[in-house]
Amino acid sequence: MTELSVSTTAAGHVPQVPLPEAPPKVTVRNLNFYYGEHHALKNINLTLGTNRVTAFIGPSGCGKSTLLRIFNRMYDLYPGQRAVGQLMLDQTNILDPKLDLNLLRARVGMVFQKPTPFPMTIYENIAFGIRLYEKISKSEMDDRVEKALRGGALWNEVKDKLNASGLSLSGGQQQRLCIARTVAVRPEVILFDEPCSALDPISTAKVEELIQELSEDYTIAIVTHNMQQAARVSDKTAFMYLGELIEFDDTNKIFTSPSDRRTQDYITGRFG
Amino acid sequence: MAVQSDVMEAAGPYDRAKALSAFKLGDLTFYWITRISAISVLLILGGIILSLIVGAWPAMKEYGFAFLWTQRWAPSADPPVLGALGPIYGTLITSVIAMLIAIPVGIGIAVFLTELCPQVLRRPIGIAIELLAGIPSIIYGMWGFFVLGPFLANTFQPFMIRIFEGVPVLGAVFAGPPSYLSLFNAALILAIMVLPFITAISVDVFKTVPPVLKEAAYGMGCTTWEVVRSVVIPYTRVGVIGGVMLALGRALGETMAVTFIIGNSFRISSSIFAPGTTISAAIASEFAESDGLHQSGLILLGLLLFVLTFFVLAGARLMLMRLEKKAGK
Repeated sequence: MTELSVSTTAAGHVPQVPLPEAPPKVTVRNLNFYYGEHHALKNINLTLGTNRVTAFIGPSGCGKSTLLRIFNRMYDLYPGQRAVGQLMLDQTNILDPKLDLNLLRARVGMVFQKPTPFPMTIYENIAFGIRLYEKISKSEMDDRVEKALRGGALWNEVKDKLNASGLSLSGGQQQRLCIARTVAVRPEVILFDEPCSALDPISTAKVEELIQELSEDYTIAIVTHNMQQAARVSDKTAFMYLGELIEFDDTNKIFTSPSDRRTQDYITGRFG
Repeated sequence: MAVQSDVMEAAGPYDRAKALSAFKLGDLTFYWITRISAISVLLILGGIILSLIVGAWPAMKEYGFAFLWTQRWAPSADPPVLGALGPIYGTLITSVIAMLIAIPVGIGIAVFLTELCPQVLRRPIGIAIELLAGIPSIIYGMWGFFVLGPFLANTFQPFMIRIFEGVPVLGAVFAGPPSYLSLFNAALILAIMVLPFITAISVDVFKTVPPVLKEAAYGMGCTTWEVVRSVVIPYTRVGVIGGVMLALGRALGETMAVTFIIGNSFRISSSIFAPGTTISAAIASEFAESDGLHQSGLILLGLLLFVLTFFVLAGARLMLMRLEKKAGK
């Protein structure tokens, strides 16, 4: 894998010709979500296309992160939160109460707003996730760690200090470490929850580039407050407002000729 | 705002330089008060050590280093024969057993309270543990004497003997005539006494783990156990070890309850169900009736406890430093 250069992303990436419609990986039907009494998501319908990048935009509190956290049932950690409706990952019903959450989360990885390296070495940060699912020899593990770090575009920066703490890296490196860690367990879907909001522009560019590369192998959902970012990295964009999905279409279309007035207002910066 | 400036003008022009010079004096006073407070700790510590050494000097001169490995304790012999091996052994063995029990249980309770416990149970259990810390140690002593002692002697010890009969080392560890007063009884009581320290501190530091870090681990597909073992405990390692050390310090020095139930026997027995003594129990039970060389020997025991605690804490620091190195910090 080649090193990322900043210049390619500075030019931005807007797919001029929309990619052909992809078979759905995740299907959301009539999904509602409640924080206790509060009705946070109202009747959401959409699909995430296989190996496509879907961006979720909208003002704070519109429910986009909430939606993302349903895809891997993260909300399950907190009592009083519940989802109603249908949510399928291929043939698996994600909302099935009997579903094995550990296995679901192996298929649906997540990268958070703030970098969250585990309190261990860089090597262990990657190997830890792999070890949860596979028993492999030391040399195989070395290969997998290297591959994951290359996949996270971090290998050249850390190959000489794999035994340093993950916390010793810079913020951007930590975030790429988290992406590498997520990729290492070979998920099918990767969720990005505002992955660049704590990063400087150069790190952001690297992460965006990385997301583009990952979309060749993974289905990606990304929540972002940065509309240029949504335009640059995504194939489809969903605009959400007050818990409702207002518009969901090809990214090009959303950013050039949105059909809803509210989408128009938001992307032109009239509110949000 | 307007009102304030009116008042200012009425009081004449505000002399900042004058105000500052007044503050300077205040600052200087404050600086010295805090500094003297800090230094006083060192003075008190030094004073205690010095007076211990002075008090222990006759015994040190008389017995030398042999004091450390002599088992016989015969203060009424002429001349008195004093050896600290029994109390040192008892102190270490009761503390080690107590920590072996209290660390897993204490951390287990903390994990339950922070990660697993339903919200409604959280407060009652938390309060119960705080109350456990508030029980005076003499109450623990009496409970150990009247309740735990008989149970251990009549039920638990015969059970262990039956299980481990004929097993080479463990057989000897549990052997012996039943006795209400034993090292194991004291160790159990110590474990219960230090449990709240470990739990309270662990709960506090577990709460400092950022939720997003736990979510990240759950997001990888970790089970609760894996999150606790690989993320929560490593993240809070320093704090947890701090709590354990505080507990160990308490266990090493705890006097009243232990004096009540340990049996005050200076003889070292291979069985943990036999009576023994600890340094603090020996001092507490004999100091009032001691004089001369005997008293000096007891003070020397106190000095030993001081040194022992110091080395335990130093060892803990060393362990922390090594752990941090291993974690790559």
